[in-house]
Amino acid sequence: MAYILQQLLSKSAKTYPDKMAVWARGRSITYRELDERSNQMAHLLRKLGINKGDRVGLLFPKCVESVISMLGVLKAGGVYVPLDPQAPADRVAYIIGNCGIRVLITNHERRAALNSETLELLECCISTDQGENGKDGKLVPWSHLAEFPADHAPTVNLIETDLAYILYTSGSTGRPKGVMLSHQNALTFVEWCAEEFQVRNEDRLSNHAPLHFDLSVFDIYNTLEAGATVYLITEDLALFPTSLANFIETQGITIWYSVPSALMLLLLHARLTQDKLKSIRTILFAGEVFPMKYLRQLAEMAPWADLYNLYGPTETNVCTYYKVERGRLASLEKLPIGIACANTDAFAVTDDGRRAAQGESGELYVRGPAVTYGYWADPEKTQKMCVPNRFEQNFEEKMYRTGDLVTVAEDGNFYFQGRRDSMIKSRGYRIELGEIESALLSHPGVSEAAVLAVPDEIVGNRLRAVVSLLVPDSLKAFDLQQHCATRVPKYMIPEFVELCLELPKTSTGKIDRVKLAAEPVLAH
Amino acid sequence: MIEQAEVKDRIREYVVEEFAKSKGINQVSDQEVLTKNGIIDSMGIFRLVAFLEETFNVRIGDEEITNDNLESIDAIERLVISKAKK
Repeated sequence: MAYILQQLLSKSAKTYPDKMAVWARGRSITYRELDERSNQMAHLLRKLGINKGDRVGLLFPKCVESVISMLGVLKAGGVYVPLDPQAPADRVAYIIGNCGIRVLITNHERRAALNSETLELLECCISTDQGENGKDGKLVPWSHLAEFPADHAPTVNLIETDLAYILYTSGSTGRPKGVMLSHQNALTFVEWCAEEFQVRNEDRLSNHAPLHFDLSVFDIYNTLEAGATVYLITEDLALFPTSLANFIETQGITIWYSVPSALMLLLLHARLTQDKLKSIRTILFAGEVFPMKYLRQLAEMAPWADLYNLYGPTETNVCTYYKVERGRLASLEKLPIGIACANTDAFAVTDDGRRAAQGESGELYVRGPAVTYGYWADPEKTQKMCVPNRFEQNFEEKMYRTGDLVTVAEDGNFYFQGRRDSMIKSRGYRIELGEIESALLSHPGVSEAAVLAVPDEIVGNRLRAVVSLLVPDSLKAFDLQQHCATRVPKYMIPEFVELCLELPKTSTGKIDRVKLAAEPVLAH
Repeated sequence: MIEQAEVKDRIREYVVEEFAKSKGINQVSDQEVLTKNGIIDSMGIFRLVAFLEETFNVRIGDEEITNDNLESIDAIERLVISKAKK
């Protein structure tokens, strides 16, 4: 039984050395090649001073090298940090500083976009560009891997509770927060998936989610676990539903996992026929609420496929699941988030601190080996979210507060009701409205700012900002969007920015969000 | 009928006003890959297609909504012109 993630690869590389492991952008590598390249990467990282527990950043668009790099970092004993290749330089700089990344695997284009302070922090960059040459001491070309041993990885004494990767998500106080995940956290989920979805050697999995998004953990590691093949979907495919449908058909994808909005896009614009999806046997979705109307359409388009609604914040990966019961599809008004996964305990706690009984609502708490230790270098936030399990008298244990309000229904399933705070979802991305407000307020000309979510059937939510300026008419909406672009990822920049003289207030002097939300959205 | 030279200007203006500006970008080169750098997202593609159909009086089929046809202002111009000639 594997207790660290890279053992999944070693096992499959022995059993299926010549099988295709990863496909991306028309290129592919076999299990043997993936094993050998990641061994070489591990040796290179060791030579660059990476030791057990050291963080290594990955900043480049999805490609075969992404998977080599992830496994290479783990084999060196390190912790990989996948960064959004579209994130602004300021956010990348923050993350690199926050978790002390000294070695970054990146490409020429992304390296050129880093700011000078970030380059100062980095001891070395490894370039994924095949053609790149010239070692200036701080830049190692990919071709340099060939100089290291391929047949074995460096010796490291890793145990399952060591960290494997850190995923950064939106933080309410204006800066992203790094969710720390151990080998055990990931493997608890991977092993449950392997059993529940019976991933097999002949399966072809798609990887739709970006690698800094936890959905990709299933795509990559369950592929390695089963000796299957993963097809990385890049943006030139993801944005074009017809191309994507053709891709699914041509590659014969058997297991699909994505946010619901990606599936809705296929349903609405790909001229889908049952034929296009005929290879798919299992469709998994997570990250946001799937409207029933579209789920019914999907069920009709793939009548033979098992459909699963997976639920869970990054801090727990997936903690509950619901296997869609086709017989209930017509009558079901709302999709359940289901029941706890194996080796995971999920329960609702009422406002007065009791475990919720059937029919009651409360905040969902999760305990078990899939749950994060907390946030990198942020003990305060960790303490707030990972709290002592007060229901256990005999030993000390932590449980994670999801901040999600759920109902425990008569059918035994949990149903998602809403959030306790101002976190929202858009296209499956977690967005803390407070992080965007902080970005707006950091502009010297801004006096007040409120960001509101405008519900949208397809993408979940769109973003609208209402801002008052210190000097009226001194700035335009675009100036503020441009300012946000330097601080937050593109999916967090408000689509609508309205300027006003003063924001409405409640009797206690707080910004009146209820009143703002009731106002019509002005066209931009 | 819109002049050929005007086609690219209209496309560029629309891409900048409708997509780039709300992402904090005010200049887009004709070769820039709009899909790679996040200027246009998945929903934006369909707004763009609706704009092209209406403005240039062309019909763009779902199967033509591909990266090759829409990845840059240059590519979009080529698509529109090839359609208008038919």
